[in-house]
Amino acid sequence: MNKYKFHVSGTHCASCKILIEDILNEQDLIINAQVNLKSETVEVETDSDVSPQELTEILTSKIKPNGYSLSLEKVTQEKKGDDVIWKAIPLGLVFLVLFFLLQKSGFLNFGIGGKTTPITSFIIGLIASVSSCLAIVGGLILSLSAKVSQDNIDDKKNLVLFHVGRIVSFAILGGLLGMLGSAIGISFTLGAILGLIAATVMLLLGLNLMGIFAKSKITLPSGIFKFFRKIEHKTLTPLLIGFGTFFLPCGFTQSMQIAALSSGSFLTGALIMFAFALGTFPVLALLSFGSASLAHSKFAPLFFKVAGVVVVGLGIFSLLGGLAGIGIIRPLFNI
Amino acid sequence: MNKTTLVIITLGLIIGIGIIFWGGLKGPQNGTADTPVENSEIRDGVQYITITAGGGYSPEFSIAKAGIPTKLIVKTKGIYDCSASLVIRSVGFQKILPQTGSTEIDIGIPNKDTPLQGVCGMGMYNFLINFV
Repeated sequence: MNKYKFHVSGTHCASCKILIEDILNEQDLIINAQVNLKSETVEVETDSDVSPQELTEILTSKIKPNGYSLSLEKVTQEKKGDDVIWKAIPLGLVFLVLFFLLQKSGFLNFGIGGKTTPITSFIIGLIASVSSCLAIVGGLILSLSAKVSQDNIDDKKNLVLFHVGRIVSFAILGGLLGMLGSAIGISFTLGAILGLIAATVMLLLGLNLMGIFAKSKITLPSGIFKFFRKIEHKTLTPLLIGFGTFFLPCGFTQSMQIAALSSGSFLTGALIMFAFALGTFPVLALLSFGSASLAHSKFAPLFFKVAGVVVVGLGIFSLLGGLAGIGIIRPLFNI
Repeated sequence: MNKTTLVIITLGLIIGIGIIFWGGLKGPQNGTADTPVENSEIRDGVQYITITAGGGYSPEFSIAKAGIPTKLIVKTKGIYDCSASLVIRSVGFQKILPQTGSTEIDIGIPNKDTPLQGVCGMGMYNFLINFV
């Protein structure tokens, strides 16, 4: 029997230990695997005669889909991490300043009169995609796509599924609103609760992207990240999140839902919501596919941290707004 | 750039965000907490307060009389943003306002020094009416 010690990278949470051990112990040639999070090593016992090099390759191929890898040599962590975060914070803040200035400018608040047609709802979608709704929908998309890329999941596929899920469910739900004429999508409380959940997810993922959790190895949110890791592999997840964005609190979405509701027919309602979702697509696509491609570029370390700062900022904004919206705290700002 | 410069830039940006959120960039027609606007009129013994919704609420701070039957009129003109989804918790009102039109909300007989707060569904816009 042979015993080897490998260095493992990608362990960012306490649950990673369990996940890696589970996967490795499933392999036929492994008798026992033990992960040591502190030293970022894994000790394996095996009775096969494959060379350590081969073994690293075999085992890495098994845990790679979950974002981990093994090596014989310790991969030297970029010690520049500290500098990166100090560049990332001001950069992220610049994006936040620009975003809030745009909101404050009133530039987006021109009135669109008349009857809501698919064309006006497309234009409203375009406006909505850079409005304060971007804080919640865009922030969620940015954090999820950056996280998915960071975890080395098949990000392009997931993002495509998300957008398909979003546009298709907007059309179907819009059609249902038009046909039934009753307010399935317009519960304030449901919207507010979903908004608060989204804000919390953004805060956690944002801090994680910034490397706050990874650095100090805080074990508290391990359960959440384990859950997240588990569900981000499912094909259904991005479709469902796309579907869920229909119910996220956003004045523009809600106005469009009312328009679909009063249209009185499945086809008109579906067209209005479809056109609206299509209008929001360019900006959201830029956010999601843009972050995926940046995540695979040489700017990846900086990008993840900048995205983290932006997402945390938008998360705080949405959280405070959401709490004020359901009356838990007094409104803190008018923007 | 060295770290000190970056920290200074960071602090500057945080102050910038503070100014965007809480800075006094509002026009006088919106009112402030210290100088609220009077936007009410009394017709046939009923007080009508008018607020315009669209990219926020205007005026943000207003003042009206306590102790008489009061109705709030919220005017909208081709709006689709958050201010269309209005919540006034104290009178149990929550509704998506019509894109264009005017909505009358009965707020009963307001008590002195019990302000009425309206907030939009996502909580980023609000208005406050004080009764004296």
